Amino acid sequence: MTAVIEVAGLTRRYGTLAAVDDVTFSLEENMIHGLLGRNGAGKTTLMQLLTGQEFATSGTIRVFGQSPLENASVLQHVSFIKESQRYPEDFKPKHVLRSAPWFFENWDADFAERLVDDFRLPLNTRIKKLSRGQLSSVGVIVGLASRAPLTFFDEPYLGLDAVARQTFYDRLLEDYAEHPRTVVLSTHLIDEVSNLLEHVLVIDKGRIVIDQDSDSLRGAATTVVGTRSAVDAFVAGREEMHRDAIGGLASVTIAGLSAKERAQATAAGLELGPVSLQQLIIRMTNMSEHDHSEHSENELEHSA
Amino acid sequence: MTTLTLPETRPMGARLLSVMKLHFANPWTTITLPWIILATIFTANLAIWALIFMNTPTSEHADIAAGLQWSGASLYIFVYMMVVAIGAINVTFPFALGYGVTRRDYYLGTSLQFVLLAVMYATGLTILAEIEKATNGWGLGGRMFTAAYFGSDLVWYQQFFVFFALLVFFFFVGAAVAAVFVRWKGTGITFFFIALGALVLAALYLLTLTDSWPAVGEFLGNAGWVGTYAWSLVITVISAVAGYLILRKATPRNS
Repeated sequence: MTAVIEVAGLTRRYGTLAAVDDVTFSLEENMIHGLLGRNGAGKTTLMQLLTGQEFATSGTIRVFGQSPLENASVLQHVSFIKESQRYPEDFKPKHVLRSAPWFFENWDADFAERLVDDFRLPLNTRIKKLSRGQLSSVGVIVGLASRAPLTFFDEPYLGLDAVARQTFYDRLLEDYAEHPRTVVLSTHLIDEVSNLLEHVLVIDKGRIVIDQDSDSLRGAATTVVGTRSAVDAFVAGREEMHRDAIGGLASVTIAGLSAKERAQATAAGLELGPVSLQQLIIRMTNMSEHDHSEHSENELEHSA
Repeated sequence: MTTLTLPETRPMGARLLSVMKLHFANPWTTITLPWIILATIFTANLAIWALIFMNTPTSEHADIAAGLQWSGASLYIFVYMMVVAIGAINVTFPFALGYGVTRRDYYLGTSLQFVLLAVMYATGLTILAEIEKATNGWGLGGRMFTAAYFGSDLVWYQQFFVFFALLVFFFFVGAAVAAVFVRWKGTGITFFFIALGALVLAALYLLTLTDSWPAVGEFLGNAGWVGTYAWSLVITVISAVAGYLILRKATPRNS
């Protein structure tokens, strides 16, 4: 296993607010990582720290084994188009596409051209006249066609319609299969990207609350559905992540079950259902709000 | 886990060249527009000179030419270069950093580009000034590129130097102001100009209270046109260095 990013004890404070709070993790090479979290959770700040755009208050960052700060040999392999990326005002998309290859040695102009067609991006309109969705597609095209060994997408599809978003997912997967690279995708549209992600980092209030492979994460929780009495009997003594009840029926989300426990549940006449990544993350972030973040992490580690 | 070994780093020259090209990706603001405006002002001036020339007796033409030497028409281009510098840094800095450019490479490349632009404009202005001299004010006694503050009795390369010094002065003062804005936004600019105003005022007070104005005049008189403009390079260099020191700790912000 090769880590592209290694972060230890990383903190960034703005006054008293810790936008990123004592964070430690590493990201493996040639995987698609999801950086998930609510608005203001610290996703953008974290990515700015990883790309040397923001300065750490404390802690260490290693990207390709080196500090990214003012380090041309690291940063020339990094593409980071922010959701709020600012372009020179007098630029048109054609100027962006013309200048990108000067900075990305793997730039594929044909691929960029195809993406322009896919997203129906007008090349000759001034950037400031573009719609929000068109602006997002500029960033998406640069991020994809640059084929940077380390590519960050920060909320890449604000304002993009469903078709365009699907196009983005398809092109990303196709191109990633042909040209493996490390992708960090930050978003709050979790369900849409859940099939894309191989590894998930969830950040909440500046802290990493989940750092797991998405496969093991999907098995980390189960929904138990059945009559209220049967459900209550089964979940007694277990941590409940979520509970819904309608009449005599109950649906309770608990940590993942072993094969034996599953058999017991089925024998008790209960139905077991998967929990979507989105629901799981919502529940775990809520739990971290009620208890402590460590609590939900422990839950996960037990079940994983 | 093992750590990756990176492929070779692009040589610095290539990296700086990329930044310079970025500023020229759309030459409209930095090259096309200034020349269009200059051409417009020049045409308007020509028309006015022609009007004066045709409606005054020949005996007064020398007096009129002397008055026209205080024309401020071409001053615009120098001030405009400060605007170009501020605008260019403000918009390309966050953009270049998204492209994986370091602040150091960005600032060096941008500075080189400013020097290159200064050479280009100084060349153009020198050629125009020479034509103006040779044609005795475009045949109309007009003065625009040989205005009094660009020096008198200068050989072409001295004239070029004066234009160049003025241009880099405005470029790098603009770069410093832009760095303040990029790093500290509007608040920074406010405090910057308050501080600058106080500094200038203090200098004026000091010079007046110590009766140093004649000394200043004498100093500049001795330095001559070329020497005086050469001294402006000191402020230019200070601005350039200050701009880098400020920008190297700046983070691209959203607005």
